[in-house]
Amino acid sequence: MTDLQERAVPVSTAGDPRPPRVRVPAPLRSIVKHTGLSLLALIMLYPVIWMVVSSLRPNNEIFRSPGIVLDSLQVANYSDGWNALAAPFGHYLLNSAIVVLACIIGNLVSCSMAAYAFARLDFTGKKLFFATMLGTIMLPIHVIIVPQYILFSQLGWVNTFLPLIVPKLLATDAFFVFLMVQFIRGLPRELDEAARIDGAGHPRIFLRVILPLMLPALATTTIFTFIWTWNDFFSQLIYLTDPEMYTVPVALRSFVDSTVATSWGSMFAMSVVSLLPVFLAFLIGQRYLIKGIATTGIK
Amino acid sequence: MSALEKFQRLGTTRSGPRRKRDNKAAYLFLLPWFAGLTVITAGPVVASFVLGFTDYNLIQAPEFNGLENVNRMLSDERLHRALGVTFLYVFVSVPLQLAAALGLAMLLDRGLRGLAFYRSAFYLPSLLGSSVAIAVLWRQIFGAEGLLNQVLDVVGITGRGWISDPDTALSTLIVLNVWTFGAPMVIFLAGLRQIPAMYYEAAAVDGANRWTQFRRITLPLLSPIIFFNLVLQIIHAFQSFTQAFVVSGGTGGPSDSTLFYTLYLYQRGFNNFDMGYASALAWLLLLIIAAFTAVNFWAAKRWVFYDD
Amino acid sequence: MHAGTTRRSVLSLAVGTAAAAALAACGDSGGDASDEISTDPVTLRFTWWGSDARHKRTQQVIDLFTKAHPNVTVKGEFKEWNGYWDSLATTVAANDAPDIIQMDELYLSSYAERGALLDLGTATKHLSTADFDAGALETGKVGGKQYAIPTGLAAYAIVANTDLLAEYKIALPDDSTWTWDDLKNLGAQVSRASGGKVHGIQSWGFDTGGVNIWARQAGATLYGDNGDVAIPPAVLAGFWQYLLDLAKQGIAPPPSVTVERAGAALDQSGSATNTAAFGTWWNTQLPSVAEASGQNLKLLRLPGEKAAAPAAYYKPSMFWSVSARSKHPAEAALLVNFLANTAEAGDILLTDRGVPANTKVRAAITPKLTAGDQAAAEYLAALKVGPPPRVTPKGASGIEAILKRHSEAVLFERQTPRQAAAAFIKELQAEIDAA
Repeated sequence: MTDLQERAVPVSTAGDPRPPRVRVPAPLRSIVKHTGLSLLALIMLYPVIWMVVSSLRPNNEIFRSPGIVLDSLQVANYSDGWNALAAPFGHYLLNSAIVVLACIIGNLVSCSMAAYAFARLDFTGKKLFFATMLGTIMLPIHVIIVPQYILFSQLGWVNTFLPLIVPKLLATDAFFVFLMVQFIRGLPRELDEAARIDGAGHPRIFLRVILPLMLPALATTTIFTFIWTWNDFFSQLIYLTDPEMYTVPVALRSFVDSTVATSWGSMFAMSVVSLLPVFLAFLIGQRYLIKGIATTGIK
Repeated sequence: MSALEKFQRLGTTRSGPRRKRDNKAAYLFLLPWFAGLTVITAGPVVASFVLGFTDYNLIQAPEFNGLENVNRMLSDERLHRALGVTFLYVFVSVPLQLAAALGLAMLLDRGLRGLAFYRSAFYLPSLLGSSVAIAVLWRQIFGAEGLLNQVLDVVGITGRGWISDPDTALSTLIVLNVWTFGAPMVIFLAGLRQIPAMYYEAAAVDGANRWTQFRRITLPLLSPIIFFNLVLQIIHAFQSFTQAFVVSGGTGGPSDSTLFYTLYLYQRGFNNFDMGYASALAWLLLLIIAAFTAVNFWAAKRWVFYDD
Repeated sequence: MHAGTTRRSVLSLAVGTAAAAALAACGDSGGDASDEISTDPVTLRFTWWGSDARHKRTQQVIDLFTKAHPNVTVKGEFKEWNGYWDSLATTVAANDAPDIIQMDELYLSSYAERGALLDLGTATKHLSTADFDAGALETGKVGGKQYAIPTGLAAYAIVANTDLLAEYKIALPDDSTWTWDDLKNLGAQVSRASGGKVHGIQSWGFDTGGVNIWARQAGATLYGDNGDVAIPPAVLAGFWQYLLDLAKQGIAPPPSVTVERAGAALDQSGSATNTAAFGTWWNTQLPSVAEASGQNLKLLRLPGEKAAAPAAYYKPSMFWSVSARSKHPAEAALLVNFLANTAEAGDILLTDRGVPANTKVRAAITPKLTAGDQAAAEYLAALKVGPPPRVTPKGASGIEAILKRHSEAVLFERQTPRQAAAAFIKELQAEIDAA
């Protein structure tokens, strides 16, 4: 983690416009702050650490030995877990990666377009459409899934990735549309005006002015789409019937069946493996998160 | 008039005394969304509405039963229980989670050593999502032999099985929700980064202290993002399902103390082959959430600041 | 105008979806179960729940089958328990159900009575049931029709940790004569001797086995023949009173621990973590519990059994069934036949889906079993059983959730056993009536 710290400091201090406070001696304040934050981080991380430790324990010790002290190392959990299901676990990682990548592209393109219209353009039915958009995320998926399955099975899309990807290409994820609307509305209007006076039309303003400035929102969308799609269980369970098509969350659950014994060691090992890509995605993504307007220097 | 000129005129939103409408450009930008709405979303949504007036066991064809499902809601004790649990959960967990997320986002936005580490550490729990591991992990903390009780034991307090005691089970789920404050935190962080540095520089020149800067600059400029998080977290909390499902094994137990609305709806629909009633329940939930969202939007006029 | 077209297409789609749902519900199958086996390429979808070990075994059997029938492709679709039922309900609703369906006793009537399953009586040309015990076959019948073939059998049992009993110098009881009071006393001795570290008994009341046996010992049944709830409230109240006493007297762990373990996986139970000397289990779970525990465990018959009228019974651990809308019912029946009747399949599956209900297969595999599996099989063979209870009626598939909720209410003393009994019967009956 030291590498991380060193890399992060210049990025964030460069962008920090605020002068330090002077009342309390700086070193003391810093110690208090770091102690507090470290303690909090430890609490936040305890379950994750426990999971990593458990992935290295023999199966029958996981629930018998408490705490996070490791007294014997069972690395075989990783190889066992990797090969436990119909295909090597890498197969499911690849499937998930395909779905995630397509969903990210879909969300970035379609949601930003819709958001630009809602945030910057004035058109007939705007309020109604906006309310409709918000309304579509208010129904729980469990009553939508059956009619939707019927629809997709009529289209012959069941057991393909299409039911997972196409909706994202068509901006059905209102969460991100709304998120981007809020970000765009937070951008100064003068920027569009200036571009317009220079003769730019909407496509150009959108591509050249708005998109670069909403980099934090796009990064947020990317990170969240990655994580949520990576973890989404229900729709992947329903639409992917052939084990060849299974994604990580569906495969992970195949380790656990409440009616029989579970290979906990393998399950935790593969949970750790499947956590790595999302964590990496976050580490990379967060660097763009903090490159907002404040750091790009636009005034 | 050339096509180019026409296109440029579409973009002159604010130039005239009266705003000109940008219908063409807007519908063009909204094209994917319209397609999604009509092809993918609308059918199932309308179908679920229609099914709300039927008796539908998923296997045989649905049969219309008028307002029977609405009648059932009035006398359904478990539904009333689920409403109580859900409202309590929304009112307690949303403010707590947002406060934690905003506070830490503010703290982590500043030039702090190890910033990336903290940010990642605080976000890591949110990455676990609905992973099956969550149920097991949560038991390691709040179970009868979990971490919390081990700590309490050292101080001489006898704990209890927090997850399995009906008096405390809901509280552990609230903690679980607050624990995953990473998502709104990231959105706040992104929002904070959009506030132009010049505002703070100007304020510092004027001698404003941190608190004044927070109240006068950060809060108003961040208000669209705070509003977004508030609206979405409320919707999200009303629909809370996965964590309760995973931790209680789908039962909403012990003794229905964590019977979230959507969990009950799911049980009716899938466990009891009662999809007609479940659909009606879904539309009741939609009405409730829509009411809350409408109030939120109405109230927003007073405190959310847009630059347009 | 945009809005107009939008509204119209929305409506047509909604109507289309509703029509599809209706169509899906009355769709017809493409073949007849008594047809000749096709020589053209046929694809069968075969779905089951379970964990990774079962997936591997089942895939091996599928490979054997397709080797013998090269024109048939079998696609295995495996899920874990909860996801399995969500997925099955959705696919059945969309007329897209897999051909061969692993079925559970709780859901059998709900699917069969609504016409989702094929009457296997029409498939006798390809599917033989001759080697099955008649009583076992009976469990797969709904309304006199054979909708499902039991894969294996299980019986309710007490698992005793003999290492713990030896440690506390407590003699193993004689399970042919012991009573519920004996169990309570033994449990109390363990709790006392261990100083609270180990509890005598792991409480139950979260699955139907315990209630069924309790009712049958009292000369009653959970369901009457007509499918209504038939257990007398006083009997049910007695069941909960017993469990409440165990908890209150420290013989079983405090309620919150009991409830926590009941909701957790098998590996986290009192029996598996050696923190309870006695616990109720299905006999087939013994090897898993023993592996997690690492100590010596023994299956005992339940207390209170009378030789003249045994309350114990064979529970079908799960079933094979075929979708009523399968396009290839004959081939599907052939696969079920392969799974249920052949020694090749039995050799691979062993007792993974219960001790085989097919007596020939059972005899063939018994020498190949591990010690734990053999102990489970021997227990089943030696047990004196009464006729099986009525299959769970349509609408009552959620009984375990209702039972669990009321057990919790009793243990946490939110309801007295009497109140819980009345409320339980009322709620379960209402579910049955509404279905």
